[in-house]
This record gives sequence, structure tokens and C-alpha cells, in this order.
Amino acid sequence: MRLLFILTALIILLPHHALADIVVIVNPRSSITALTHHQIIDIYMGRNPGLADDKKLQPYDQALDSTIRSEFYYGITGKPASAINAYWARLLFTGRASPPKSVADDSAILDIIEKNPMAIGYLDRRYLNDQVTVVYTIKRQDQKEPDAELQNTQLSDTLPVTEKP
Amino acid sequence: MLRLLSFLLTVLVMLPLGQHAQAFDLGTDRLRVSGFGTLGLTWGGKKDYGLQKEFIHDPQFGGVSILTDSVFGLQVDFNIAKNLDATIQAVAEDRIRQDFNNIVDWAYLSYKPTANSVIRAGRMGVDLFMLTEYRNVGYAYLWTHPVIEFYKPISLSHYEGFDFRYSRRIKPGYFEFKVFGGQTGSDIDVGSGELNLRMRPFVGFNTSLEDNDWKIRLTYTTTNTAFIKAPADPLVNALNRVPQALWPQAAALHDRLKGVDTQTHYFSAGFSYDKHNWVIQSEFALITSRWVSIDMTNGYLSAGKRIGPVTLYTVGSYARSNSQPRVDQNQIASADLQGLAIATQNLLNAVHIDQNTVSLGMRWDFHPRAALKMQWDHTWTRKHGGGLLELNKPLDHDITLNTFSANLNFIF
Repeated sequence: MRLLFILTALIILLPHHALADIVVIVNPRSSITALTHHQIIDIYMGRNPGLADDKKLQPYDQALDSTIRSEFYYGITGKPASAINAYWARLLFTGRASPPKSVADDSAILDIIEKNPMAIGYLDRRYLNDQVTVVYTIKRQDQKEPDAELQNTQLSDTLPVTEKP
Repeated sequence: MLRLLSFLLTVLVMLPLGQHAQAFDLGTDRLRVSGFGTLGLTWGGKKDYGLQKEFIHDPQFGGVSILTDSVFGLQVDFNIAKNLDATIQAVAEDRIRQDFNNIVDWAYLSYKPTANSVIRAGRMGVDLFMLTEYRNVGYAYLWTHPVIEFYKPISLSHYEGFDFRYSRRIKPGYFEFKVFGGQTGSDIDVGSGELNLRMRPFVGFNTSLEDNDWKIRLTYTTTNTAFIKAPADPLVNALNRVPQALWPQAAALHDRLKGVDTQTHYFSAGFSYDKHNWVIQSEFALITSRWVSIDMTNGYLSAGKRIGPVTLYTVGSYARSNSQPRVDQNQIASADLQGLAIATQNLLNAVHIDQNTVSLGMRWDFHPRAALKMQWDHTWTRKHGGGLLELNKPLDHDITLNTFSANLNFIF
């Protein structure tokens, strides 16, 4: 009886829908086909990722208060958006680097990547098309309420990642 | 009241530019206007023992002050050409001298000869310890204010000169090395009046290694006090005029109190860690100088835990003078020198530092660009150890002070 109760509770608590992975994308004209976890961190945290001059990338961010931005940074750094925002304030106001330019949503990211061979961005895999190249994937864990989970940072310390599409 | 008005006036002058920050940012890739601010309330200090979080501020002898933590800054970054940028940062805060020279905190050109290196020239932020470059940007750090025992002794905000920074990823993490040189100075409030300080050459280096979760940092800086004008100058000069035969110790005491032509060395080590929602940071410094006012050792350890959007934290800090020269009455051969001897001992007591603070606080990140913070500081200051306070009378017994601060920090 007790086992039955636990199983029933687990079924109720199981996620009702699965979220698509977050993919990091570049323009197909870029000579880059894959990036490492460290390179993604360096690109999005204002550091030099060690790419050759002809492979330099200009990062684009999703909206500051968007869920996908929180999930993206949590996926690559294991830190909540508030910590990332404070980190960028340190870089900006010590003159070290300016944060990536923000755009409104996934379609705006796609639009920029399709047009700009030096741009790099990230979006929900569901919005992916064949006009861009995936260079890195962040697997999302199934979760019922991603916002609440992220706010409470109850996710695993680092979301599982794959380095190639 | 005058200082509040001058602060508000400076903010009002800067506000119109700040209002257009977002528009500039969106309008062009080459020009970026951004800013930061803290609106703070502080309860602290006692009738005779003033709280002063930075030497440029007006000390607070009890009651509530809006000036102690409040600050407003604007930064303009302009891309002049490929790999060449210009940056200007202006900061409005309570300061003893509210003039253009002090308000413009940074104005420099930066050039990137390679992807791993940057050369800057002009007026830049002093980069002695982990927070010294962004101590005004409350949003960028955890506490309501930088740790007083560690950051107050550094009254220097900017320097004019150059720096060269090299950084690259190596196997253990991201490595950075920076060397800098130039001149610096500050105009500060030491209670009994204004102290003007000019230091040159001001040279040093710092190096750091960081990865996603941790950072270690080492620094060394040395500088010579080229000029000083202080309220204690008449006393210090009088010591210099005392004949050796009448008071042999006077020359040595003059040497420890004069400040000018004194070489000071700053050594520091810092560490930060941010993982599993634990946020830990610690720094220790050794400042060695013949000038007794700044010859000290200090440090702090801060630990915080993020619980959703709220971070709860505690900080423990200390500052101690490395030496405590005293007037030796047995060496004084003339009764006429007793008054000078007493005044000298009072000055030595007033600049001596022996202080600890334990703080508890919380930061609430309620908005992507704003955070609310509250903090309680409990400070123990030993008898004749109040060099970090503003004293209306000699500190002839141990005291404790409680400080409450609440502030709203934002960036735009």
C-alpha cells in the first residue's frame, strides 16, 4: 500500500511536458562547426575564447528577464541569472568588457545569425532551422515549472551538456 | 546640508545623460552609455565617535544619513576605431571637494594590440584589491558597502598613467596579468580638516587565475607620498624642529608621522568561490610604510548562501596597525616640550588602528537590474585603536558600534 502511494505520488509529480534543448548557433558561413564548454563560457563571460582572428564571434543574448537566458547561463555556469548580471556589472564598470547585445526573442536571434557570419546566439531547439549551424547543445532537464526551479536553483549543479550537435 | 545639496546637484547634472542611456545603447554599436547607482540609508556612529565608510565622506555621528552609501555614476564607452576605445566615468557621491577633477573618476583610451592584451592610458580606477575598481557599483557586489576594515584605508580612487593587461586561458583556468604605473592622490576628510595627498610614482602589478567557480588574486603595489597637506602638519613640523639634545626621540616620531617622502608597499591575496549557491570571498593585505597612519594588516572573510533570489551572508573583518610608536617621557629633557609630547601621543593614539567587525546581511535580487540590501555591522574598537573612526575626543576605552544600512542598488 505504501509502495502504491509513493508510485502514485511520483506519477503526479512527473513533468507533464519536456522542454527542448538550448542550442548555440552560428552562421553556416562561419568556419566554426563546434565549440567547447570553456569556449562558450569565455565567449559569453567577456573573455577571449582563443579563436583565430578569422573565427572571431560576436555574442548575442536573449532578453535580460527571459527564462531562456536564465537557463542558458545556468546551463553553462551553474549560476543564477542574478549572479551573471552582477558579474557583467563588474566587467562593464571596470572597463573590461561590454555585455553581449540583447535581442527580443528566439526569432530575433535567428534573424541575426542568418544575416551575420560573425554572430553567435542561442535559442530553443524547437525554433531551429536549416539556415544556421549548431555548435553546442545544452540539454534541459524535464521540469514542470522551469522558472520556479531556476529561481530556487534546485536544478542539478550543472546541466548535462554535449559539445557537439 | 551643504554636502547633501552638492551631491544632489551633481546627480541632477548627470541625470539627463543617464535618461538617454538606453537610447544610445540601442542606437549604435559604437557608443554605449550606462550607469549605476545606490540609494542608501545608514544608521551609525556615536556622538563622539563618527562612522566614516570612506575617507572622502562626511563622518556620521549618530542618526540617519542618506549620504554615507548613496552614489550615482555614469559611464560612456565609445569605439573610436578598430581595437581603439575611449571610456569616461563620472561619479557623484558625498566628498569633501565636489569639483570636476574629482567627479571624473575615469577618462582613458584603450587599445588592443592582440586578442590577449590591452593597453590603457589616461585616468583609470585604482586596482589594488578585488573591489577597488568597482567599489562604487553596489549592484556588482554582495554587501551594502565594501568591508570598512579592508577598503577604507585605500582612499585612492583613480590614478593617471597607463596599464598593460595580458590574459589567456591556460590549463587550470583563465589567467590574467596586469602591470600599471602613474600617479595618484586624494582629497579626504580626516575630521579635524582636509587632507590632500599626492603619490608618485604609483606602480604595481596584479595577477589572477579564475575558473567558473573560483578565483585567486595576488597584488603588489608600491608608491611614494610626494606631497601631503594635513591638519596635523603644524605638530609634525614642530617635531622636526626639536633639538636632538632636548628630545632625541622627536626625529624618529617625526619620521613616523610626516607621511611625505615615505614609501608604502601594498601586498594582498584574495580568493573567491561561488558554487552550489555558496558565495565565499576573502582577502588579506599587508601594507608596510614608515608612515604610521597606513602601516597595517587587514583582512576579511565573507560567506553567503543563495536561497532563491535572496542571498544571506555574514562577514568577519579586522584591521590592525603593524606598530604602535609611543612617546617616551624619559627622553624629554625640557618641560617646555611637555605640551608637544602630549599632542604627539594624542595624534599617535588617534591614527592607531585596532578594530574588528562582524556583519550580517541579505541581498534580494528582485529585478534583473536592481537589488535591495540590508546589513547590520557590529564593530569592536579597542582603546586608542580608532584610526578608522572620526574621533571628537580621544578614544581612551574600548567601544562597540552598531551600524544598520539599507540600500537600493541599480544599474542601467
